[in-house]
Amino acid sequence: MTRSAVPEAPEIVLDAVAKTFDTPSGPVEAVAPVSVRLAAGQTTALVGPSGCGKSTLLRLIAGLEAPSAGTIAIGGESPDAVRARAGLSMAFQDPSLLPWRSLRGNVALALKLARKPVDRAAVDRLIALVGLEGFEGARPAELSGGMRQRAAIARCLVTEPRLLLLDEPFGAVDELTRGRLNRELPALWQARGTTALLVTHSVREAVLLSDRVLVFSPRPAQVAADIAVPFAHPRAPDLTRSNRFLDLCDQVSAALAQGEATRRMVAE
Amino acid sequence: MPSWLPGAMLLIAAWEVAARGLAGRYLLAGPVDVAVHAWANAGLLSRAAAITLENALWGLILGNLAAVALALVALALPRLAGVVAGLALVVFCLPLVATAPILRVLFGPGPGPQITIAALAVYYTTFIPLMVGLRAAPASWFDLIRLYGRGGATALVQVRAMAALPYLVAGLQIAAPAAILGAMIGEFTGADRGLGVLVIRAMRGLDVTATWTLATISAGVAMAAFAAVGALGRRLTPDRPEVLLTPPPATAAGPMARLAVGLLTVLAVLVLWWGAMELAGLNRFFAKRPDDVWRFLVTAPQAAAARATLGAAMAETLAWTLPGYVVGLALGAGLAAALVLFPAAAGSVMPLAVALRSVPIVTTAPLIVLALGRGAAGTMAIVAVMTSFPALVACLQGLRQAPGQVLDVFAAYGARPWQRLVHARLPAMLPAFFAAARMLVPAAVLAVTVAEWLATGRGMGHLMALSASTSNYNMLWSATALLAAVSALGYAGVAAVERRVLARYAPEQVS
Repeated sequence: MTRSAVPEAPEIVLDAVAKTFDTPSGPVEAVAPVSVRLAAGQTTALVGPSGCGKSTLLRLIAGLEAPSAGTIAIGGESPDAVRARAGLSMAFQDPSLLPWRSLRGNVALALKLARKPVDRAAVDRLIALVGLEGFEGARPAELSGGMRQRAAIARCLVTEPRLLLLDEPFGAVDELTRGRLNRELPALWQARGTTALLVTHSVREAVLLSDRVLVFSPRPAQVAADIAVPFAHPRAPDLTRSNRFLDLCDQVSAALAQGEATRRMVAE
Repeated sequence: MPSWLPGAMLLIAAWEVAARGLAGRYLLAGPVDVAVHAWANAGLLSRAAAITLENALWGLILGNLAAVALALVALALPRLAGVVAGLALVVFCLPLVATAPILRVLFGPGPGPQITIAALAVYYTTFIPLMVGLRAAPASWFDLIRLYGRGGATALVQVRAMAALPYLVAGLQIAAPAAILGAMIGEFTGADRGLGVLVIRAMRGLDVTATWTLATISAGVAMAAFAAVGALGRRLTPDRPEVLLTPPPATAAGPMARLAVGLLTVLAVLVLWWGAMELAGLNRFFAKRPDDVWRFLVTAPQAAAARATLGAAMAETLAWTLPGYVVGLALGAGLAAALVLFPAAAGSVMPLAVALRSVPIVTTAPLIVLALGRGAAGTMAIVAVMTSFPALVACLQGLRQAPGQVLDVFAAYGARPWQRLVHARLPAMLPAFFAAARMLVPAAVLAVTVAEWLATGRGMGHLMALSASTSNYNMLWSATALLAAVSALGYAGVAAVERRVLARYAPEQVS
């Protein structure tokens, strides 16, 4: 496949997207109507309290759930259409590796499912990039939680998707490795021009990796704050010590705290 | 030294001592007698064993193919899964004592009935774990498949088939000895070769040594089959989880939906029964339809007499089955709980119990009848023996399911072993216990009817054998239908209790 045949990174348009789940104890509104436009090629971080519906929003964009109301357009197409041609990738909270496949087999599975040729050298390069060199033949049961999560990230990136959905991809990764992955992986997808959505609980990570941070209110998910991150890519390691970076982090934290305070007031 | 060896040696020693000590009072042959007899008749016995094994193997293959096909149908048509499972259960509950002579009429001489009965004896024990196994994957694995635009077929190949493999192996392992039992029951109905034929001959001639030798050989073959499938499974799925915890396959939720599934199943059974007979163009003289049974039991002039005969036989059979079943379950569960308090003994008992579980009922029944006579004690002992070993194995496996962290909490507070047993392990054991209790309902009925047929000359087993030999096919089909219905209802009854108990103690199992 030549470079020109690769589709452009898509713009994502959410128009009054809402999701309500039917549960035995009645309907639960997971996502309140959300309208937002995510620019092509940008990385957007979604932060918000646990259980606020961020993951549901990601699953809606992936087409794994259907919205109860509203529409989602990915580069003008429906999520189902994009999914049908394997035009997106997602890393789940749970690494979801198949236990009977080796690490290499799990990463290559994404290529197989996407009906793309399996380039073993490319698979191994990506495995090395997430720091799992030497474990290519290992079964998931032989890897630690953090290693499994890194394998899932490799699987997610191997198809070179134009749209990347990452649901707390570094949650179980140790602090040192997380720092390295935070430096190296975004470069990989940002150099390719990929639209990326990243759910994270780390305010610092959200600001460091993204071009824009969306802060969500407690459930049902609603955008409480929309904060632009004006730093150019690739970002220098000492950026995190700059005042501008720390100010942005404070801004995000304040928006998060305000959402929490509102929820308490409503509850009382 | 393998962990089972001391237990096995102890058992053989006890057997020899018992045979010598009780000689004269009970009809027993010890291991030495058995070995001498086996050596003297090595040629005859090995030829017969080869025939039986061949039939059992064919039955095993066909039965398991049927199980896989049924499980795939249930998977593809989730709305019909309950009815498919119900149909599978009713066919499994057909009393082999009655189906065997009917199949003999149908097939004539040759291995047809042996193979069919072996297949009938095995398909359900594979079908149930497969139903669980094909669904035993986290939702995110299926999300992964959908994420790249692939559908159900890919999920079946990439996820379900592999996730179900350990369940298939677990089912196959139980099925292997069951196939040998099925083949032997088929051989009882007028085959000319095989271990079953020799068993019948030895029993008719009251040849105690030959009966014990044949029982030992069949048990050994069954245990070897169990071990062989286990070894194969360990190669195929080296890191397989323990999978005998089989909750009831996910069927309709709510009592009304379950009632609807039940009624649909009854309807499906009647339609299939009638349709199969008509399609095959089978002679009404021996291939009775549902309406024949209805006439015989309800509208015919002698219907009342027929009902009385059937009712009396059923009452007699249930009177032996129920106590034996309850005692067997209690023995199995009690022994398992006791073994947890003495873990050193469990290592030796578990493999032995697993092996003894695969001993076919047709070999145990004659021995127990020889030893305890044709009365209540003998029959109840047969049922108890047939139910207690599977219950013991299931409960031991269940007891091990107690989550390590929960046990750590107990350990952290210095809880006593019995506190751990009562508060952590017994609740964890319940799903396995009920899974066994359900599957053992048809097994207990089979055990009683086989005993009644081969030895005691009472109850439904005797009535069915008598009806078959006098070509009273109306009575034979009626007895078959009644017994299958009672077994299936018993199974459903245990499942209902199971749902109530597990909803409290293991809600994750019944969601």
